[in-house]
Amino acid sequence: MIRYILKRIALLVPILLGVSILIFGVIRLAPGDPAEVMLGPTAAQEDIELLREKLGLNRPIVVQYGIFLKNALHGDLGRSIKTNNPVMEELLQRFPATITLAFSSIILALLVGFPLGMIAALKQNTVWDALSSFLALAGFSIPNFWAGLMLMLLFSIVVPIFPSSGYGTWQHMVLPTVVLAIQTMAVIARMTRSSVLEIIRQDYVRTARAKGIANRLVLFRHIVRNALIPVVTIAGLYFGHSLGGVVITETIFSIPGIGRLLVDAIRSQDYPVVQGGILVFALCVGVVNLIVDVIYAFLDPRIKAQYR
Amino acid sequence: MFVAALLCLAFAGAVQAKEAVLKVAQVADISNLDPHRINDVYSANVVRQVYNGLVQMDDMIRIKGDLAESWENPDAKTWIFHLRKGVKFHNGEELTASDVKFTIERILDQKTASPGAVHVKEIASVEASDPHTVKITTKNPFAPLLSSLSRYELSILNEKAVKAGGDAYGKNPVGTGPFRFVEWKSGDRVTLAKFADYYQGPAKVDGIVFRAIPEDATRLVELESGAVDIVSNLPPQDFDRMSKNPNVTVVDVQGQSTLYMGINEELKPFDNKLVRQALNYAVDKQAIIDAVFFGKAAASSGPISPSIWGFDETLKPVYPYDPEKAKELLKKAGFPNGFECVILTDPRTERKSVSELVQSYLEAVGVKASIEAIEWGAFLSATAKGAKGMFIMGWTGTGDADGGLFPRFHSSNIGAANRSRTRSAEIDGLLQKGRTTIDEKERKDVYKKLQAMIIDEAPEIFIAVTKNLAATRKNVKGYVMYPSLISPLYGVSIE
Repeated sequence: MIRYILKRIALLVPILLGVSILIFGVIRLAPGDPAEVMLGPTAAQEDIELLREKLGLNRPIVVQYGIFLKNALHGDLGRSIKTNNPVMEELLQRFPATITLAFSSIILALLVGFPLGMIAALKQNTVWDALSSFLALAGFSIPNFWAGLMLMLLFSIVVPIFPSSGYGTWQHMVLPTVVLAIQTMAVIARMTRSSVLEIIRQDYVRTARAKGIANRLVLFRHIVRNALIPVVTIAGLYFGHSLGGVVITETIFSIPGIGRLLVDAIRSQDYPVVQGGILVFALCVGVVNLIVDVIYAFLDPRIKAQYR
Repeated sequence: MFVAALLCLAFAGAVQAKEAVLKVAQVADISNLDPHRINDVYSANVVRQVYNGLVQMDDMIRIKGDLAESWENPDAKTWIFHLRKGVKFHNGEELTASDVKFTIERILDQKTASPGAVHVKEIASVEASDPHTVKITTKNPFAPLLSSLSRYELSILNEKAVKAGGDAYGKNPVGTGPFRFVEWKSGDRVTLAKFADYYQGPAKVDGIVFRAIPEDATRLVELESGAVDIVSNLPPQDFDRMSKNPNVTVVDVQGQSTLYMGINEELKPFDNKLVRQALNYAVDKQAIIDAVFFGKAAASSGPISPSIWGFDETLKPVYPYDPEKAKELLKKAGFPNGFECVILTDPRTERKSVSELVQSYLEAVGVKASIEAIEWGAFLSATAKGAKGMFIMGWTGTGDADGGLFPRFHSSNIGAANRSRTRSAEIDGLLQKGRTTIDEKERKDVYKKLQAMIIDEAPEIFIAVTKNLAATRKNVKGYVMYPSLISPLYGVSIE
């Protein structure tokens, strides 16, 4: 098992390296550069050149990448061109908000979506199934920003229970977590439904029932456990999706997370911050996939057996 | 005992209630609080509360003393400023002439790479004659010096604090202003507290919190629910709705910025003045204002806003909508069937919408324009090097006609801010005369002639003077929106 985990960790290294090369190149391919944005519309060409030199932007791109990589390995991601603050410091400041939001929304989506899908499958073709399907379809179709504004209107102005924006208390996280969870919840509900429907028709379930095992035991030991495998996969995949959604949710609710930092940095072509932010996102997705793989091994003895 | 406890609680409550903190919602977070490193209005709005300049410009564009009590011009190139005595920085240091010298020399140093350096490039030297006297010598007579010195980039720094702060100075700013810096939570808020030793006396509120709320709708929800007191960027489409809210006061001030469609005069057929004039007649500016700005703007009366010193008060909106005249002029210029061209814009919705409307008006007179939207950095670079057609831009300038005209139309700025690539010896001459004439009346006459000449030359389609819209809670008193969008909050109180 440990060998399995170590192998997965080792795989993260080339992934991160690939991501860093890709983002480093792509952002520099975009027209314009940070020196122009920083000095604004009145800037003379010579001043732009001077700043470019100061920022090291006129060196060959391979040299720039080499310097970036060397510093990054020492934990130094450079300084933001816009704020002059160390990128690492900015990312660490913004990280808690984003990760709290992403994880809480995935957990909420699982807590609501999984039971919803179970009910739909176990009560197939009843009103419960229809209701669950309707909720899932609605959840998947509602755009993030619209749901955000509606919840804000309802719970910040009409019935003022939660603050409409900002960060700091658990109350601030309620509306954004719900907004970010809606789509994932819908997908999990649908996935659970179809996976449970497939499992309850399997031979081993019929055998278990024929042996006279109590319904509850069949449900939890045979159905839920097997149904969880695809659900965990989807939850893992949707974690990456959530990180994308975080960008919109953080903007609507003014949450100082990495998503907003990235958007601002891309607008002002703040290369070091964009590079650092994307690397952190890639690392998060990598780590979550690793966790998913480990959970697999626990859920599915066949995987564990491979590495014994 | 119980009563005593209640009294204590009530007293504590009363003390807490007394703490009046003004909450201001801005569109974006600040980038830095080192005045030499910023060029965005959100940082400038915070810098304005933390620092003072030698002089200040009020909301009616009048120059007044600030850290300098008085000044004199022994000759056209020499300015002597007498500093106020006993002014304290937030770190307890007293303001001296050497801080002023340090500030100006730092912004001019190429190593600082300050976006604001351009405003004081005419300064040749700064001397601290004694602890309270500063002598500034300019390379040439430079009339707009006071207006340049009133800008936020020229806020006076404390030499000791800047040197101690090093790279992190922008996170620990030290000024002489009515509010001292407390904390900056990146992406979220900046907190300031009242500076008890402020030279004009303490501010009316105990502190200010500037919050970054990028989404328009969220900013308004926060104002309506009372979570913020001032929203400094009110979207024009929400102005009427907010004005009906009994808890909100709306503010509507003519801004310093003009919006225009620049024309690269070096390209054919834009090198023909008749063509440029025809393009101006072809566009219905009022319709654009109504559609994009919901009426919250005014048709341009030339290249600068009426809120800029030197604006010719006799001017009316230029080039009224007249498509027939446009076609006539195009015919006269040799383009009876129009021509094809390009409009460059950055991806902001407002600018794209204006570009699309201009495009449809031009099509009506036979000019087929295609729109290309490119990112701001690339847009700046492409247009500075010579746009391949027309380009939409806004210009805020400095509050003085020189700042609104010299960068944009002097031939020495081709390759930089002169994006229309205007090259006229007469315009150059008047621009030079405008900045070197110290006498105000004489100077105004120069700018009057200059504006008439630029309107006739039509290096751009003059579109609109935008309005600065804001909203405050009803109990906020004394809030004044400045034409530059950068408003001091010293006089603001919460009832």
